[in-house]
Amino acid sequence: MPRIRFLIGLAIALMPALTARVSAEDWPQFRGPNSSGVSTSRGLPTTFSHEDKVLWQATLGDGIGSPVVARGRVFSTAMTGPKKIAVFCHDAATGKEVWKTELDTGILPRITPPNSHASSTPATDGKRVFVYASTIGLLAFDATDGKEVWRLPLPRPAYLMDWGPGCSPIVFRDSVIFCQDDDLSPYVLAVDAATGKQRWRTPRPDVIAGYAIPVLCTAGGRTDLVIAGTGRLKGYDPDTGKERWTCNTLLRTIMTSPVVKDDVIYVAVQSYGDAGRTIKHALLEWLDTNQDGKLSKAEVPREFWDRFDAADKNKDGFLSGDELDTAFQHPSNMAGGGKIIQAVKGGGTGDVTKTHLLWNLTNKAPSDLVSPLVSGTRVFVVKAGGLSSCFDAATGKSLWEKERLRNFGDYYASPVAADGKIFVVGKNGFVIVLEDGPKLKILAHNDMGGEVLATPAIADGRLFIRTREKLYCISNEAK
Amino acid sequence: MTRLAVPLLALLVAGPSILAAGPRIDVVIGPDAPRLERFAARELTDQLRKLFDARVQVSEKVPTSAEHLILLGSPATNPAVKEIAGDRWPKLTDQGHLLRSVSQGDRRALLVGGGSPVATLWAVYELGHHFGIRYLLHGDVMPAEKPALKLDGLDRVLEPTLRLRTWRTVNDFAIGPESWGLAEQKRFLGQLAKLKFNRVMLAFYPWQPFVHYEFKGVKKRTAMLWYGWRYRVDGDTPGRAAFRGAKEFENPDFAGKTTYEEKHKAGVALASGIIDAAHDLGMSAGLAISPLEFPREFAAVLPGAKVLKGLEDLTIGPGPKQPPDDPLLRELAATQVRAYLTTYPKVDALYLTLPEFPDWVEHYEKAWQRLDARTGVAKVVDLKQLMESARKRNLIASGERGFQALRGNIAALDFFHTLLADPALLRRPGGNKVEVVIIEVDPALFPVLDKVLPPRAAALHFVDYTARRVTAHADLLGQVPARSVRSSLIFTLADDNVGVLPQLTTSHLHTLVGRLRQHGWEGFSTRYWIPGDLNPAVHYLSRAAFDARVTPQTAYDDLVTPICGEGVVERLVKAFDKIEEATTLIDQNDIGFTFPVPGVVMKHYRAAGPPPAWWKKVRDLYAGAMDEMYRGQQRSHVGPRPFMLYHAKRLEFAVEYLNSIEALRLAGQAKAKGDRAKQLEHLEKAVESMYNALSALGEVARDNSDRGVIAVLNEYGYRPLKAEFEAVEKAARK
Repeated sequence: MPRIRFLIGLAIALMPALTARVSAEDWPQFRGPNSSGVSTSRGLPTTFSHEDKVLWQATLGDGIGSPVVARGRVFSTAMTGPKKIAVFCHDAATGKEVWKTELDTGILPRITPPNSHASSTPATDGKRVFVYASTIGLLAFDATDGKEVWRLPLPRPAYLMDWGPGCSPIVFRDSVIFCQDDDLSPYVLAVDAATGKQRWRTPRPDVIAGYAIPVLCTAGGRTDLVIAGTGRLKGYDPDTGKERWTCNTLLRTIMTSPVVKDDVIYVAVQSYGDAGRTIKHALLEWLDTNQDGKLSKAEVPREFWDRFDAADKNKDGFLSGDELDTAFQHPSNMAGGGKIIQAVKGGGTGDVTKTHLLWNLTNKAPSDLVSPLVSGTRVFVVKAGGLSSCFDAATGKSLWEKERLRNFGDYYASPVAADGKIFVVGKNGFVIVLEDGPKLKILAHNDMGGEVLATPAIADGRLFIRTREKLYCISNEAK
Repeated sequence: MTRLAVPLLALLVAGPSILAAGPRIDVVIGPDAPRLERFAARELTDQLRKLFDARVQVSEKVPTSAEHLILLGSPATNPAVKEIAGDRWPKLTDQGHLLRSVSQGDRRALLVGGGSPVATLWAVYELGHHFGIRYLLHGDVMPAEKPALKLDGLDRVLEPTLRLRTWRTVNDFAIGPESWGLAEQKRFLGQLAKLKFNRVMLAFYPWQPFVHYEFKGVKKRTAMLWYGWRYRVDGDTPGRAAFRGAKEFENPDFAGKTTYEEKHKAGVALASGIIDAAHDLGMSAGLAISPLEFPREFAAVLPGAKVLKGLEDLTIGPGPKQPPDDPLLRELAATQVRAYLTTYPKVDALYLTLPEFPDWVEHYEKAWQRLDARTGVAKVVDLKQLMESARKRNLIASGERGFQALRGNIAALDFFHTLLADPALLRRPGGNKVEVVIIEVDPALFPVLDKVLPPRAAALHFVDYTARRVTAHADLLGQVPARSVRSSLIFTLADDNVGVLPQLTTSHLHTLVGRLRQHGWEGFSTRYWIPGDLNPAVHYLSRAAFDARVTPQTAYDDLVTPICGEGVVERLVKAFDKIEEATTLIDQNDIGFTFPVPGVVMKHYRAAGPPPAWWKKVRDLYAGAMDEMYRGQQRSHVGPRPFMLYHAKRLEFAVEYLNSIEALRLAGQAKAKGDRAKQLEHLEKAVESMYNALSALGEVARDNSDRGVIAVLNEYGYRPLKAEFEAVEKAARK
């Protein structure tokens, strides 16, 4: 009896801690634990479709943010009206809608299709769900009932080319970390997960718009917050936001996220053009409406007019020549385009470019949008056209390169892995299942019936696939 | 409590209007205003609310005081207009309309009216245009900058320079309006009314399910759309997002209809719905039929009938030896005509099409003699000279085809004289006669048109497939006695032979519009299949039809700048010009380049020689136009961005399509050389490019013509390409 009372007491004492944490099988943020794309889940189906092995499905509304899963609940977002965004909570086993909270977005910013105003992936600590909406800011909802816990208004991001926002929060210990690399005033910040109170905010003035998710890398007993951005992979102190190191080997535009395996950070990215193609060239190509080789104020989005004025040194009302070079790209960081896959050893201090770059390939394999997957000892990448490549994680040696997955078209979602399989999702809605091995072996092409841009989630033997309008739970539990 | 309740009550009673921040505008209509003027008042109200967030009050009496006053109608329909306009109301035709600021004492008002109710409706749309609204085929776009509400200082009187502005619909092919359901047809009609089109012509083919008739025990049993071809949609269908889960591409009004009766019922409902919708908008409606063509089941009752040349050979017609005065043939044709008029009793005009590829040639001399006996035509022109001119001319129907065309034309015209001599035939159930319009009279007969057409018939002329080709023979237009025979010209906005790629031809339309005005033609009738590219051309026609000063350049500026803002039109004009140049190149080099039929893509696999140099030029033009669209979009106000993105994606589709067929041609060459590795490489590229082409279009598809293009090119492009690639790959593995 005393022993039972002790155990009950222990259980009660641990309860808050348990409810506030996510379990190993959960998928609490974009691409799951530490954005790795890898789950320990087993028993996942190989063949399925929007009509087969569907445990449940729910119609959400337009969106490209991924679902996240914690403690048997699935959280997702969608546009449910012209100016309404909703956060959904579904029971992971039954699909029952546990709650749905709608928010008014106000006037939405310009974005370029196929982006959506519901592009950000939520994050959760199991107790709360953290959501970013570009016109509102960062919000926290009670995971049990969807009630708003706090909101932190944030400046609206601005994009020279109107791509629109697509960044997602993560949770680290009891902080919510959010990186917003836009073209105007990029930053990373951390807030108290319980209150939304800002803990630190670090500007990132030397980068232009990008969409990399911050990841955590522990090396030498120290954990760094690692963010890929224009030209630079940087490590920050996750408790203070102070920059610890920089590895200056990246490209101009970074839309993929790095992946950490053990104490190594892997980056695979394509940025349009060659090494000399700085942002200026894109601006002259697309913003210079009258093609006179310089930018007038009217040719620049209004949000950037202060920046324009500051850069217009000779005050002639135009940005040209040297003015244009550095008006929107930091003079210390004139990275251009290219295609790279690289492994960087975590840790270090200061400029680690020459000391921590383990290997670096200039290779046509990477995508501009799809993040790499590191599973076991291999780095897997896929790009438009369904071209897949695989490299040895330790050496960068090619295992196969640009092999067809036999599914053409664009790829936006990043591959995920579990149960000895890799799941690759084409924009056309086909999920290609590969054997997670050293040779390319296609196991199945599975049709989800509609466009998919969101990276799937995996938890508890279930695969959660969000099409443009719906959320599917795929499982062998399905009758 | 009381202090709170009063304002609350006032708020409840006043409703949203008191909440509106904008100005109050009073609109006055006549107490007996006709239906169209009441509709015009609703349209005006809607526009004013959108433009100014205005509180619009429509009434039948002039208010004692009004901040902004609009009087809608004409002196004939609105006493308030009569009172204030007095002799300031100009003489207007039934199509003339005006926007005129007037004052009487200290009262100021804007007159918005016309010489008929529909002209008043157009005046409302003209006012919307004045304030910057642009009416595109797929919807309205509001001005980039909110205009000032200024109703004084306006004095605009518009009369048409081309009185008949016809929009053709139904037609054939899945890429055309044959695939549009009634809802989509109505959406287009609504926009066309705003663009002041005043007639819709439903072009029917004998195999379609829009009419039923029986003759001597034979019942019409053929009822199919787009030649009976079917287009499945499955998982491996690039661009499938556009189909929203459908398993087959269909006209939505025919979905699930499998029997003849079901299809016929759906067809009649669709066509009747189009006619009613047109009438509701003040447009007249016509049916275009081919009285000398019948579904094949009628071969049993027409001895000597011949299967006519055409896709899938679906029709029969009189054979070479069938005399034009054969009573049996006349009875069969009359049965068909009567069936249409009985089925569609509200139709205003019946267009009778002369055969495009006439086989009915043996009796032309006798037919000519009969025509001469009726009208004395042979005294004006010599038949032999006519024949020679048809043979020697430079139209698509020239040489033997020209010769044949003219002979068949003469026989058919003689037949029409006899057919239409029956006074009861064209009488509608209400007793009125429909107007008759003859389509495709051979150009050789233009100088004697008044002597070869049946009495009182008008004419709709074809001349050649593309506007560019017609322009090259614009002198022919001057030969038409347009002042004695009401004549319209078919304006090909986009040709089905040139096919599925983006087309524009505004500069040639401009030339033709000038000629029509010069020679006193009545108007035009559009011809197109895919409407997505046509906004620049249709906007030009809409404005030029009422203003001889309008040019393509001024029309483009007028279309783009109010909705996009400054700086955009320059890019878009470059894009439009490049598309027009590409259209011309295709037309000049291979008019059947992307004709949407089986084999349209795979023919390039079998063709000899390397990809022609002009393909690259066309692709570069489309690519350049695409870049310009993106530049324009980047600079533009938000409202019209989707329209520019549509064009950009249509152009991406074109670029990838050209990439695909170029790779296919190279694959064919590699195959001929026995180089299987290269063949596979090029085939894979061809498959992928076609996939990308269709995916790009699928991202922006906004009507069933776009979906039709995707469906057709999946069937005739992507799938056979993929099958060939897989077959060659399999063979290579052995």
